[in-house]
Amino acid sequence: MTWYGETIDRRAFLKAAGIGFAAALSPCSLHALERADAVYASGCRAPDGSFGIATVSERGEIIDRVALPARAHGMAFSSATGRTVAFARRPGTFAMVFDPSRQAEPIMITAPEGRHFYGHGHFSPDGSVLYASENDFDGNRGMIGLYDGRNGFRRIGEFDAHGIGTHDMTVSDDGALLVIANGGIETHPDFGRTKLNLDRMEPSLVMLDAISGALIQKHAMPSSLSKLSTRHLDIAENGRIWFACQWEGARNENPPLAGWFSEGEDIALLSLPDETTARLANYVGAIAVNRRENIVGLTSPIGGASVMLDARTGLVLAEESVREAAGVAPAAHGIAVSSYDGNFNGTHSDVAWDQHIIRIK
Amino acid sequence: MRKTFASGLIALLPAIFAPAAFAQEADTAPTVELPAATVSKVMTAAVDSFIRPGYDAFQTSAEDMTATMKTLCAAPSQANYDAAKTGFGKLAANWAHIEIVRTGPVIEQNRFERILFYPDRKSTGLKQVQAVLAKSDETATDPKTLATKSVATQGLGALEYLLFGTGSDTLVTGNDFRCRYSAAVAENVGNVAAEISGIWDAPDGIQKAWEQPGADNPAFRTGSEAITGLLGILVHGAEAVRDQRIETFYKGADKAKFPKQALFWRSENTWPMVKANLDGLSALLTTSGMVELLPEKDRVIVAATEEKLKSMSTLASGMTPDLEKAVEDSADRKKLDTLLADGKDVIAKLNDGYGGAIGLSSGFSFADGD
Repeated sequence: MTWYGETIDRRAFLKAAGIGFAAALSPCSLHALERADAVYASGCRAPDGSFGIATVSERGEIIDRVALPARAHGMAFSSATGRTVAFARRPGTFAMVFDPSRQAEPIMITAPEGRHFYGHGHFSPDGSVLYASENDFDGNRGMIGLYDGRNGFRRIGEFDAHGIGTHDMTVSDDGALLVIANGGIETHPDFGRTKLNLDRMEPSLVMLDAISGALIQKHAMPSSLSKLSTRHLDIAENGRIWFACQWEGARNENPPLAGWFSEGEDIALLSLPDETTARLANYVGAIAVNRRENIVGLTSPIGGASVMLDARTGLVLAEESVREAAGVAPAAHGIAVSSYDGNFNGTHSDVAWDQHIIRIK
Repeated sequence: MRKTFASGLIALLPAIFAPAAFAQEADTAPTVELPAATVSKVMTAAVDSFIRPGYDAFQTSAEDMTATMKTLCAAPSQANYDAAKTGFGKLAANWAHIEIVRTGPVIEQNRFERILFYPDRKSTGLKQVQAVLAKSDETATDPKTLATKSVATQGLGALEYLLFGTGSDTLVTGNDFRCRYSAAVAENVGNVAAEISGIWDAPDGIQKAWEQPGADNPAFRTGSEAITGLLGILVHGAEAVRDQRIETFYKGADKAKFPKQALFWRSENTWPMVKANLDGLSALLTTSGMVELLPEKDRVIVAATEEKLKSMSTLASGMTPDLEKAVEDSADRKKLDTLLADGKDVIAKLNDGYGGAIGLSSGFSFADGD
């Protein structure tokens, strides 16, 4: 079945994926969803190797699961519509839109011919547009695909991301700006996940006009940091954009691994204490901001660590060893952390949590 | 307003630490500890008994191929042409054996693509080689200038077309330009191979970095990182055989088949390449002694993987060489289905089995956070 450039309905999705999707939440799950103060969603892998998405309470208890045909990566959530999206891990070509309360049937979006998803996306504030990071792999350029959140997630356009290896992206609170992390690494589905240009990377951070797609500002990394792949983003209360990086250069160097910028300003790279940088193993896998408490959370699966920063100053607030640390998201207090080996906020489940979690309540 | 910020404007904030607003937790990272001596032994064996000899053998076969081509150019004959075709098969197989190493100097400066530009779904290489032939572009007959041309015109894909493609029979009676271009391609491939060998052979370079993981190591700071890197060669190599070499033309009996998308279908070297890839994986797994890093109870994973790789290699060597016939033959299709299923099994054994046994709880691939 070809899914290119179309959305498919529930029946086609079920047939293609060979999976079940219950029409409604079980009473037990519905109760758990309603009584939870905070609810998160994350991609996961079951012990039998199958992939899915799970919704999770603030205590780390799984509320509900939705099966997926393959592995997901990042997620997007619209507080306006309640829709949540799981994007396929690169070079995947599906994104699944679902309603955590199961009051609407899931929609599977497929990338158009010549594109694949990079694993991240974000809704406009009113939920009317879903933006997705995509790879125009024959053109070797990152793109932002636009999907109509009010009309079946039909593809309605695309913007040039002004960089290669586009990864995470987000939208300003007023919906006017798109902020994009171009990791700078060339990949092509013909070569799987092989990084094709590690000796000539072009990482950058880009800001676009969300309506026209016009380039507003672009920050290229200096040549000494050309191997610093800028990959993940989140926005703090004051509009400051925090970004997190993965170093593709020599392992015995201590590059900056996070930083921030704002509209009209240059980027600032955060020079963390050496022991913190060492702990992050030159690889930050996820970043999230708790706006209410002004905390930035970072995780490193390679270093097995989570690090909390003061979002106003960049000061290190806390560090913790977390074996196979995966996702981070704002919690009622602090930052919720998940791990590949099944831990989520202190609760162990018989799944492997994927790299990103998102708070949906 | 559009602003592109110059790199010099970037500010580096000073190293900072918060006062004791939050307690610092200075616990030890619970990463998996692998015995350093065994890690070093395994990495040394992988480098000295597989990687370096693999590139050396590839370089030697490229030099042999260059000599064979020059003989053909000097004295065109059926025998010399046949020798060139045989030499190509040996060169391709030697490449396939070490091709599984898709890390290090081979993926820098376009070396991999200069050796082999594939897949090439738009037949870019074919068109460019045909253009060189049509123009009798003399710059393509000198390895130095050929090296500056499109990667699609200077590697094994080009050489295969020159020796086996339309018009290649003229090499028997004498086609001076085509022959000299072929010789230059062989020499160019040998030059790239020599570069890679030289980098791996340098005693204080990547060889040392791979063999002695440590805090000041530019490649691997810990034994766990080093073994994960080595496992990555096997996982990615097994994925490449299945996903890029077989599924390119065959994804199942009920799916569309594209035999002419297969690597080296013209010269019927598709299966020798697959076999050499599989044998390379097997050799790396065995000669490195990776099994020694596993607890006794988990060592069966390695034995089972080796066994599966060997049975796949045997199956590949028994396939019908003509791919257009193979994909239409029910017995061959059954073998193809087995190769796809076994390939998936090998990937799972390495990814989840070996990866899990050395402490990657959800497997090697899952641990690549992206």
